[in-house]
Amino acid sequence: MSLELFHSQVLPIRPKLFRFAFRLLNNEEDAKDIIQDALLKVWNQQERMPELQNMEAWCMRIVRNLALDRLKSKKYRNTEGLDRAGEVHAIHQQSPHLAAEQQDVMGRVHSIINALPEKYRTIIQLRDMDGFSYQEICDILELTLSEVKINLHRARKSVREQLQNLHVYGLQ
Amino acid sequence: MDYNKIRALLEKYWEAATSLEEEEALREFFVTHQHPLPEDLREAAPLFRYYQQEINRELPAEPVTGVVPISKARPWQHWMKYAAVLLIMAGIGYSIQQQRVKHDQLIVADFGEDTYKDPEVAYKETQKALQLLARNLNKGTEQMEKLNYFNEATEKIKE
Repeated sequence: MSLELFHSQVLPIRPKLFRFAFRLLNNEEDAKDIIQDALLKVWNQQERMPELQNMEAWCMRIVRNLALDRLKSKKYRNTEGLDRAGEVHAIHQQSPHLAAEQQDVMGRVHSIINALPEKYRTIIQLRDMDGFSYQEICDILELTLSEVKINLHRARKSVREQLQNLHVYGLQ
Repeated sequence: MDYNKIRALLEKYWEAATSLEEEEALREFFVTHQHPLPEDLREAAPLFRYYQQEINRELPAEPVTGVVPISKARPWQHWMKYAAVLLIMAGIGYSIQQQRVKHDQLIVADFGEDTYKDPEVAYKETQKALQLLARNLNKGTEQMEKLNYFNEATEKIKE
Protein backbone atom coordinates (compact mmCIF):
# COMPACT_ATOMS: atom_id res chain seq x y z
CA MET A 1 0.00 0.00 0.00
CA SER A 2 1.34 3.30 -0.96
CA LEU A 3 1.22 6.35 1.21
CA GLU A 4 -1.41 7.84 -1.11
CA LEU A 5 -3.70 4.87 -0.55
CA PHE A 6 -3.24 5.18 3.18
CA HIS A 7 -4.09 8.87 2.95
CA SER A 8 -7.12 8.34 0.76
CA GLN A 9 -8.64 5.24 2.35
CA VAL A 10 -7.52 4.93 5.95
CA LEU A 11 -7.09 8.46 7.27
CA PRO A 12 -10.60 9.66 6.32
CA ILE A 13 -12.17 6.99 8.54
CA ARG A 14 -9.99 7.98 11.46
CA PRO A 15 -12.69 10.04 13.24
CA LYS A 16 -15.07 7.10 12.92
CA LEU A 17 -12.44 4.76 14.38
CA PHE A 18 -11.81 7.20 17.18
CA ARG A 19 -15.53 7.42 17.95
CA PHE A 20 -15.74 3.64 18.06
CA ALA A 21 -12.70 3.32 20.33
CA PHE A 22 -13.92 6.12 22.57
CA ARG A 23 -17.29 4.45 23.06
CA LEU A 24 -15.69 1.11 23.79
CA LEU A 25 -13.19 2.48 26.28
CA ASN A 26 -14.98 5.53 27.63
CA ASN A 27 -11.64 7.23 27.86
CA GLU A 28 -10.20 9.83 25.54
CA GLU A 29 -6.51 9.18 26.13
CA ASP A 30 -6.87 5.44 25.73
CA ALA A 31 -8.92 5.91 22.58
CA LYS A 32 -6.17 8.10 21.11
CA ASP A 33 -3.56 5.49 21.99
CA ILE A 34 -5.61 2.75 20.43
CA ILE A 35 -6.05 4.72 17.22
CA GLN A 36 -2.30 5.27 16.96
CA ASP A 37 -1.65 1.58 17.51
CA ALA A 38 -4.36 0.60 15.07
CA LEU A 39 -3.04 2.85 12.31
CA LEU A 40 0.43 1.47 12.86
CA LYS A 41 -0.93 -2.05 12.64
CA VAL A 42 -2.79 -1.23 9.44
CA TRP A 43 0.37 0.25 7.97
CA ASN A 44 2.44 -2.75 8.97
CA GLN A 45 -0.02 -5.13 7.36
CA GLN A 46 -0.19 -3.19 4.14
CA GLU A 47 0.50 -6.25 2.02
CA ARG A 48 -2.95 -7.58 3.03
CA MET A 49 -4.68 -4.48 1.69
CA PRO A 50 -5.34 -5.63 -1.90
CA GLU A 51 -7.18 -8.77 -0.78
CA LEU A 52 -9.49 -6.90 1.60
CA GLN A 53 -13.14 -6.52 0.68
CA ASN A 54 -13.97 -3.87 3.22
CA MET A 55 -11.15 -1.70 4.44
CA GLU A 56 -13.28 0.18 6.94
CA ALA A 57 -14.55 -2.98 8.59
CA TRP A 58 -11.01 -4.30 8.76
CA CYS A 59 -9.80 -1.14 10.49
CA MET A 60 -12.75 -1.24 12.88
CA ARG A 61 -11.93 -4.84 13.69
CA ILE A 62 -8.36 -3.92 14.52
CA VAL A 63 -9.54 -1.07 16.73
CA ARG A 64 -11.99 -3.34 18.49
CA ASN A 65 -9.39 -6.03 19.16
CA LEU A 66 -6.93 -3.50 20.50
CA ALA A 67 -9.61 -1.90 22.66
CA LEU A 68 -10.65 -5.27 24.05
CA ASP A 69 -7.02 -6.09 24.82
CA ARG A 70 -6.76 -2.79 26.63
CA LEU A 71 -9.92 -3.50 28.60
CA LYS A 72 -8.63 -6.92 29.57
CA SER A 73 -5.29 -5.65 30.72
CA LYS A 74 -5.01 -5.43 34.47
CA LYS A 75 -3.75 -1.92 34.32
CA TYR A 76 -6.98 -0.65 32.89
CA ARG A 77 -9.18 1.19 35.29
CA ASN A 78 -12.58 2.32 34.25
CA THR A 79 -12.83 5.94 35.22
CA GLU A 80 -15.96 6.45 33.24
CA GLY A 81 -17.97 7.61 36.20
CA LEU A 82 -15.50 10.37 36.90
CA ASP A 83 -15.11 11.29 33.25
CA ARG A 84 -18.79 11.73 32.78
CA ALA A 85 -19.36 13.41 36.10
CA GLY A 86 -19.01 16.87 34.65
CA GLU A 87 -21.16 16.10 31.68
CA VAL A 88 -24.44 17.50 32.82
CA HIS A 89 -25.63 19.03 29.62
CA ALA A 90 -27.53 22.21 29.71
CA ILE A 91 -30.88 21.43 28.21
CA HIS A 92 -32.61 24.60 27.18
CA GLN A 93 -36.30 25.28 27.15
CA GLN A 94 -36.84 22.99 30.08
CA SER A 95 -37.07 23.58 33.74
CA PRO A 96 -33.97 22.58 35.72
CA HIS A 97 -36.01 19.91 37.43
CA LEU A 98 -37.10 18.37 34.13
CA ALA A 99 -33.60 18.65 32.73
CA ALA A 100 -32.11 16.90 35.74
CA GLU A 101 -34.73 14.18 35.54
CA GLN A 102 -34.09 13.75 31.84
CA GLN A 103 -30.36 13.54 32.49
CA ASP A 104 -30.95 10.96 35.18
CA VAL A 105 -32.97 8.80 32.80
CA MET A 106 -30.24 9.11 30.16
CA GLY A 107 -27.69 8.07 32.77
CA ARG A 108 -29.75 5.01 33.60
CA VAL A 109 -30.07 4.01 29.95
CA HIS A 110 -26.33 4.48 29.60
CA SER A 111 -25.76 2.20 32.57
CA ILE A 112 -28.12 -0.41 31.15
CA ILE A 113 -26.28 -0.45 27.83
CA ASN A 114 -22.87 -0.37 29.45
CA ALA A 115 -23.75 -3.28 31.69
CA LEU A 116 -24.50 -5.50 28.69
CA PRO A 117 -21.99 -8.18 27.73
CA GLU A 118 -19.34 -6.71 25.46
CA LYS A 119 -20.64 -8.39 22.31
CA TYR A 120 -24.19 -7.11 22.80
CA ARG A 121 -22.98 -3.65 23.71
CA THR A 122 -20.77 -3.41 20.64
CA ILE A 123 -23.54 -4.61 18.35
CA ILE A 124 -26.00 -2.04 19.74
CA GLN A 125 -23.36 0.64 19.44
CA LEU A 126 -22.50 -0.26 15.86
CA ARG A 127 -26.11 -0.53 14.75
CA ASP A 128 -28.06 2.03 16.76
CA MET A 129 -25.45 4.72 17.30
CA ASP A 130 -23.00 4.39 14.44
CA GLY A 131 -25.61 3.29 11.89
CA PHE A 132 -23.74 0.39 10.32
CA SER A 133 -25.57 -2.06 8.09
CA TYR A 134 -25.92 -5.69 9.13
CA GLN A 135 -23.34 -6.71 6.56
CA GLU A 136 -20.83 -4.18 7.84
CA ILE A 137 -21.35 -5.42 11.39
CA CYS A 138 -20.75 -8.97 10.12
CA ASP A 139 -17.42 -7.84 8.67
CA ILE A 140 -16.36 -5.91 11.76
CA LEU A 141 -17.22 -8.60 14.27
CA GLU A 142 -16.47 -11.54 11.98
CA LEU A 143 -19.90 -13.04 12.54
CA THR A 144 -22.48 -14.43 10.14
CA LEU A 145 -25.57 -12.42 9.29
CA SER A 146 -27.80 -14.66 11.39
CA GLU A 147 -25.42 -14.46 14.35
CA VAL A 148 -25.47 -10.67 14.15
CA LYS A 149 -29.26 -10.60 14.04
CA ILE A 150 -29.60 -13.06 16.88
CA ASN A 151 -27.16 -11.15 19.05
CA LEU A 152 -28.80 -7.82 18.24
CA HIS A 153 -32.20 -9.28 19.05
CA ARG A 154 -30.96 -10.61 22.38
CA ALA A 155 -29.21 -7.36 23.19
CA ARG A 156 -32.32 -5.30 22.47
CA LYS A 157 -34.48 -7.75 24.37
CA SER A 158 -32.25 -7.43 27.40
CA VAL A 159 -32.32 -3.64 27.16
CA ARG A 160 -36.09 -3.69 26.77
CA GLU A 161 -36.58 -5.81 29.89
CA GLN A 162 -34.53 -3.42 31.95
CA LEU A 163 -36.31 -0.42 30.47
CA GLN A 164 -39.59 -2.02 31.48
CA ASN A 165 -38.26 -2.26 35.03
CA LEU A 166 -37.38 1.42 34.95
CA HIS A 167 -40.86 2.16 33.68
CA VAL A 168 -42.50 0.00 36.36
CA TYR A 169 -40.71 1.96 39.05
CA GLY A 170 -41.90 5.18 37.51
CA LEU A 171 -38.54 6.50 36.60
CA GLN A 172 -39.58 7.63 33.18
CA MET B 1 -47.00 9.62 12.77
CA ASP B 2 -49.62 7.04 13.44
CA TYR B 3 -49.10 5.27 16.79
CA ASN B 4 -50.04 1.95 15.29
CA LYS B 5 -47.36 2.30 12.70
CA ILE B 6 -44.87 3.09 15.45
CA ARG B 7 -46.04 0.06 17.41
CA ALA B 8 -45.49 -2.17 14.39
CA LEU B 9 -42.06 -0.68 13.78
CA LEU B 10 -41.13 -1.10 17.42
CA GLU B 11 -42.05 -4.75 17.36
CA LYS B 12 -39.84 -5.16 14.31
CA TYR B 13 -37.12 -3.22 16.10
CA TRP B 14 -37.12 -5.51 19.15
CA GLU B 15 -36.95 -8.48 16.80
CA ALA B 16 -33.91 -6.92 15.08
CA ALA B 17 -35.75 -6.91 11.78
CA THR B 18 -35.86 -3.19 11.04
CA SER B 19 -33.89 -1.44 8.34
CA LEU B 20 -31.64 1.51 9.08
CA GLU B 21 -34.28 3.87 7.67
CA GLU B 22 -36.99 2.43 9.89
CA GLU B 23 -34.75 2.78 12.91
CA GLU B 24 -34.10 6.38 12.00
CA ALA B 25 -37.83 6.98 11.70
CA LEU B 26 -38.36 5.54 15.18
CA ARG B 27 -35.60 7.68 16.61
CA GLU B 28 -37.01 10.78 15.02
CA PHE B 29 -40.46 10.03 16.32
CA PHE B 30 -39.37 9.59 19.91
CA VAL B 31 -37.06 12.58 19.90
CA THR B 32 -39.49 15.02 18.34
CA HIS B 33 -42.73 13.81 19.91
CA GLN B 34 -43.97 16.42 22.36
CA HIS B 35 -47.30 15.07 23.61
CA PRO B 36 -47.60 12.39 26.27
CA LEU B 37 -47.05 8.97 24.76
CA PRO B 38 -49.44 6.03 25.08
CA GLU B 39 -48.47 3.67 27.89
CA ASP B 40 -47.05 0.92 25.71
CA LEU B 41 -44.77 3.24 23.78
CA ARG B 42 -43.20 4.86 26.82
CA GLU B 43 -40.66 2.19 27.57
CA ALA B 44 -38.80 2.73 24.29
CA ALA B 45 -38.68 6.53 24.47
CA PRO B 46 -35.62 6.92 26.74
CA LEU B 47 -33.68 4.44 24.62
CA PHE B 48 -34.16 6.31 21.36
CA ARG B 49 -33.53 9.65 23.04
CA TYR B 50 -30.35 8.19 24.44
CA TYR B 51 -29.29 7.03 20.98
CA GLN B 52 -29.95 10.51 19.61
CA GLN B 53 -27.96 12.07 22.44
CA GLU B 54 -25.05 9.70 21.77
CA ILE B 55 -25.17 10.44 18.04
CA ASN B 56 -25.15 14.18 18.70
CA ARG B 57 -22.60 13.94 21.48
CA GLU B 58 -19.52 15.87 20.67
CA LEU B 59 -16.57 13.66 21.22
CA PRO B 60 -13.26 15.15 22.22
CA ALA B 61 -11.54 16.39 19.13
CA GLU B 62 -8.89 14.03 18.00
CA PRO B 63 -5.76 15.86 16.95
CA VAL B 64 -5.38 15.35 13.24
CA THR B 65 -1.76 14.87 12.64
CA GLY B 66 -0.36 14.42 9.23
CA VAL B 67 1.43 11.27 8.32
CA VAL B 68 5.03 12.01 7.72
CA PRO B 69 6.79 9.38 5.72
CA ILE B 70 9.90 8.19 7.43
CA SER B 71 12.77 8.13 5.01
CA LYS B 72 14.42 4.79 4.69
CA ALA B 73 17.40 4.24 6.90
CA ARG B 74 20.63 5.19 5.21
CA PRO B 75 23.54 2.79 5.60
CA TRP B 76 25.75 5.36 7.26
CA GLN B 77 23.14 5.94 9.96
CA HIS B 78 24.27 2.78 11.65
CA TRP B 79 28.00 3.22 11.20
CA MET B 80 28.67 2.63 14.88
CA LYS B 81 27.09 -0.82 14.68
CA TYR B 82 29.26 -1.77 11.73
CA ALA B 83 32.34 -0.27 13.36
CA ALA B 84 31.70 -2.24 16.53
CA VAL B 85 31.28 -5.48 14.60
CA LEU B 86 34.48 -4.82 12.66
CA LEU B 87 36.36 -4.01 15.86
CA ILE B 88 35.20 -7.18 17.55
CA MET B 89 36.13 -9.27 14.52
CA ALA B 90 39.55 -7.64 14.33
CA GLY B 91 40.08 -8.25 18.05
CA ILE B 92 39.14 -11.91 17.77
CA GLY B 93 41.36 -12.36 14.70
CA TYR B 94 44.28 -10.70 16.41
CA SER B 95 43.97 -12.81 19.56
CA ILE B 96 43.76 -16.03 17.53
CA GLN B 97 46.85 -15.02 15.61
CA GLN B 98 48.73 -14.17 18.78
CA GLN B 99 47.85 -17.49 20.32
CA ARG B 100 49.08 -19.35 17.27
CA VAL B 101 52.41 -17.50 17.31
CA LYS B 102 52.87 -18.25 20.98
CA HIS B 103 52.11 -21.91 20.42
CA ASP B 104 54.62 -22.14 17.57
CA GLN B 105 57.27 -20.51 19.72
CA LEU B 106 56.71 -23.05 22.46
CA ILE B 107 57.09 -25.95 20.03
CA VAL B 108 60.34 -24.50 18.73
CA ALA B 109 61.59 -23.95 22.25
CA ASP B 110 60.81 -27.52 23.25
CA PHE B 111 62.21 -29.43 20.32
CA GLY B 112 63.84 -27.20 17.85
CA GLU B 113 66.67 -25.58 19.82
CA ASP B 114 69.73 -27.35 21.25
CA THR B 115 70.88 -26.71 24.79
CA TYR B 116 74.51 -26.57 23.73
CA LYS B 117 75.82 -25.22 20.55
CA ASP B 118 79.23 -26.86 20.71
CA PRO B 119 79.01 -30.66 20.17
CA GLU B 120 82.20 -31.30 22.18
CA VAL B 121 80.81 -29.61 25.23
CA ALA B 122 77.52 -31.38 24.72
CA TYR B 123 79.27 -34.77 24.51
CA LYS B 124 81.20 -34.06 27.69
CA GLU B 125 78.12 -32.94 29.51
CA THR B 126 76.29 -36.09 28.40
CA GLN B 127 79.15 -38.23 29.56
CA LYS B 128 79.12 -36.46 32.90
CA ALA B 129 75.44 -37.06 33.26
CA LEU B 130 75.79 -40.75 32.36
CA GLN B 131 78.64 -41.14 34.77
CA LEU B 132 76.60 -39.65 37.54
CA LEU B 133 73.87 -42.11 36.70
CA ALA B 134 76.33 -45.02 36.63
CA ARG B 135 77.82 -44.00 39.96
CA ASN B 136 74.49 -43.93 41.60
CA LEU B 137 73.53 -47.26 40.04
CA ASN B 138 76.79 -48.75 41.33
CA LYS B 139 75.92 -47.55 44.81
CA GLY B 140 72.76 -49.55 44.52
CA THR B 141 74.48 -52.68 43.28
CA GLU B 142 77.07 -52.49 46.11
CA GLN B 143 74.22 -52.74 48.59
CA MET B 144 72.75 -55.58 46.59
CA GLU B 145 76.07 -57.41 46.76
CA LYS B 146 75.96 -57.19 50.52
CA LEU B 147 72.52 -58.66 50.43
CA ASN B 148 73.76 -61.41 48.22
CA TYR B 149 76.54 -62.16 50.67
CA PHE B 150 74.03 -62.38 53.46
CA ASN B 151 71.85 -64.71 51.42
CA GLU B 152 74.78 -67.02 50.75
CA ALA B 153 75.62 -67.08 54.43
CA THR B 154 72.07 -68.06 55.38
CA GLU B 155 72.10 -70.80 52.75
CA LYS B 156 75.27 -72.26 54.27
CA ILE B 157 73.75 -72.22 57.74
CA LYS B 158 70.69 -74.04 56.43
CA GLU B 159 72.83 -76.73 54.97
